[in-house]
Order: sequence, then structure tokens, then C-alpha cells
Amino acid sequence: MAKQGWDEFEIGAMLRTFEGKIEDIAGTNQEDRAYSQNSSFVASVADWRIAKPVFNKDFCIDCQFCWIYCPDVSIISRDKKMIGVDMDHCKGCGICVEVCPTNPKSLLMFPEKADEETELAAWPTKNKETI
Amino acid sequence: MSEMKKIKNLKEFSTSADRFEGANLLCPGCAHSIIVREVLNATNDDLILSASTGCLEVCTAVYPYTSWDASWIHIGFENGSTAVAGAESMYKALKTKGRLKQPDRNPKFVSFAGDGASYDIGFQWISGCMERGHNMMHIVLDNEVYANTGGQRSSSTPIGSSATTSPAGRVSYGEKRNKKDMVSIMASHHIPYAAQVAPNKWKDMVKKIQHGFSVEGPVFINAVSPCTTEWKFDPKDTMHMADLATDSLVFPLYEIIDGHELNITYRPKDVIPVEEYLAAQGRFKHLFKDEYKYLIKEWQERVDANWAYLNRREAARV
Repeated sequence: MAKQGWDEFEIGAMLRTFEGKIEDIAGTNQEDRAYSQNSSFVASVADWRIAKPVFNKDFCIDCQFCWIYCPDVSIISRDKKMIGVDMDHCKGCGICVEVCPTNPKSLLMFPEKADEETELAAWPTKNKETI
Repeated sequence: MSEMKKIKNLKEFSTSADRFEGANLLCPGCAHSIIVREVLNATNDDLILSASTGCLEVCTAVYPYTSWDASWIHIGFENGSTAVAGAESMYKALKTKGRLKQPDRNPKFVSFAGDGASYDIGFQWISGCMERGHNMMHIVLDNEVYANTGGQRSSSTPIGSSATTSPAGRVSYGEKRNKKDMVSIMASHHIPYAAQVAPNKWKDMVKKIQHGFSVEGPVFINAVSPCTTEWKFDPKDTMHMADLATDSLVFPLYEIIDGHELNITYRPKDVIPVEEYLAAQGRFKHLFKDEYKYLIKEWQERVDANWAYLNRREAARV
């Protein structure tokens, strides 16, 4: 094994998140970034879920509570609008549903196997009693 | 100094491009990543980060993956803060010598650590960083237990909490020592800014983080991080638990400027009894047995006394 200097790394001790150079990370949205194979963005934790959030945009008021309180960066918001849920990274914790302020909620948890279109068609209506 | 990012409301905040990635291995409903996201999104500047050993470190840097889109380092349990302090010193030295390629980029130096790595193991290192006056921020993700290794008590664990090294049972009600007042200890270093934050009050949090970035010198932030695994509540209730913590004044939100100017930044409209906060968590379940009920009363008295103490300090500006 070749002797290493104090400022050299072992292979694997340093991971690069991006392929090549990136100038302005904070100004580049995730879909425009060139992630390398070492970023956990390319991985998936979808198999952790036993329940999944389903998003109904008809009732959404774009308050962004779900975006700020999502622990897994799975709420996709672009141009101040909530677009949807990133199902590769969502672990199904259900925080987004809890913090959703609309009536009826625009995000609800369903079993992982549930069919999204059926659930959207049978969405609950406004509940007048609990406000 | 570069321009501070303007965040007027949540809609504006939501245009931030996250520099923390999903598919990390933190538990579903973990508050750590909520806090990290709120901190990282509070600025557009480059970030130089570290994490001491703890949940955040072991879950976000599992080979071959990293969840960080900024320069990030992990060394040991105790020295995350000094690693960042070293980087900051090097940056200052290179800047003085004029050897930086982009001297106007003005990066922010932040070290993250759990309460174990801050209150116990890294205590002396953090104290050193605060004393030497590095231009850095140390953020404690305070979940009041060594959650990563199986729930041992730390010196942040509060009285009555059942931890694996201080379990509740027939002869004991769990942890017998109260948690130490880390914010006051750090503020006693006469650092420019020390504050306590909570993830549910995102605006208060962003304001404090931005203030911390804008001052010259060391900054200490203590963030309450409800732990779904060790506090034993349902993952979906993380934000509710943080609400209970701030509204029952168990975690009052305040800041201390220059070690003497204390401001309370959040006064709940309806203060809820501490009993509700305790009842929501499995780790305090045994306190509701008849023989331990007196502890709940003591809890309430302690929290009230602490709130009165903070109010007195705010009024007297000491």
C-alpha cells in the first residue's frame, strides 16, 4: 500500500454529491442538478412505507405547511405551488396529513396498495362539525 | 457580508432549493431533518457543515450514500464543533493571505450535534469553540436521549423520563436528575447569540438562524427535536409534540444576546398544563400511576419557576 500524505483521503472517505462542478446549488432545483451515484437522492426508501399520502389538488390552498414540515424532502413545491409527493423518498410518516389545514384535507393517508384514482374519486366532503 | 435571504412568508420560503436529500435513514417522522432543512434553507450562501456522531450522522452518511449537498464532515463523537472551527480558522487565514479563489463567497460554518454530543461528550470542545470566538454556529438537536445507541440517558434527559439506563419500574421512576440549562451555560461565555428554537415555529427559527449568521462570532442554538422512537409517540404526531413542548413552556423559546440581553420570542396565547405534554409520551407513562403523581405536580412547579425566571431576566436585562 502506498504511503499517504496527511492531506490525502482513503478511497471512499470522501463522497461527491454531484457529477462535475456545480456553481449555485441553492439556486438550482433538484430536477436540474446532476446527482452522482453517491447522493442519497438516487436511492429510494419507498419500501419503508405501509401507508402513503395521496394528494388532492382540488382542495389545496398552497399554504406549504406540508413542505416545511416534511422530514424527507418529499413534498415537491415549485413557484409557490404544491405539485405532488415524491414517492421515492416518502417514508409514509403522515406529518403532511396532520398539518394540512384545509377542510376536507387535501392530503390523506391510504394503505400502500390502494389505488390512487379510486381514492380521489371517493374523497371525503367538507366536515362542518370539526373546524 | 452577502445579502441575507429574504423570507417573508412560507410561500416565499418554499421556493428554496433543498440542500438536504431524502432517502436518508432517519426514522419516519424524525424532527432532526425538519430542523436541518429549516436551517439550511435559511441562507443561500455556501455552507460548511459537520455532524458529530448521533442519529443525524449515522443516518445521513451511510456508505455509499450521502444526503448532504454541501461540504460536510464527520470525525468523531466530540469534535464536530472543532472540525468546523478549524475550517473556519483556515478560511480566515487564507483570506488574510489573499489565497482564496473566490473571497467574496462568504460561506457559513455550522456544526450539528445531538444532545449527547453537546451536553455530555463534546461539552468541553464546544466550550472551547465558544471561548475562542470562531465565526461559527453550533446547533444542538435536543431529543433528550442517546437515541442512536438505544435510548441511554444523557444529561439532557429530564426528571421522570424512562431511559434504558434509568428505566422506570418498581423501585424507580426513571431519570432522577433534571436536564442542564445548556443555553445559559453557553450564553455565559458571553457569545454574541444563544437561542432556543423549535421546528414547529419555523418563522421564529429562521429569524434566529439568520440573526446567528449575521453576527460575527460563535452562536449557540438549542433545538427541541421530538423523537418518535424514544419519546414513544406516533410518527405523525411529531409536530403536535413540538407544539405541546412550546405551548406548555417546557421548551420556552427565547434568545440571549451578548450573554445578558434575554428576549422571550414566543408567548403562547393559551398555556397548556405540563400534564398534557407528559401524557402524550410513552416515556412518561409511569408518572400517571398513583405513587408517582406527585412528580407531575413538581414538573409543573419547575416549569412555572423557569418561566418566571426567564421573565425576570427579560425585564431586568441581565
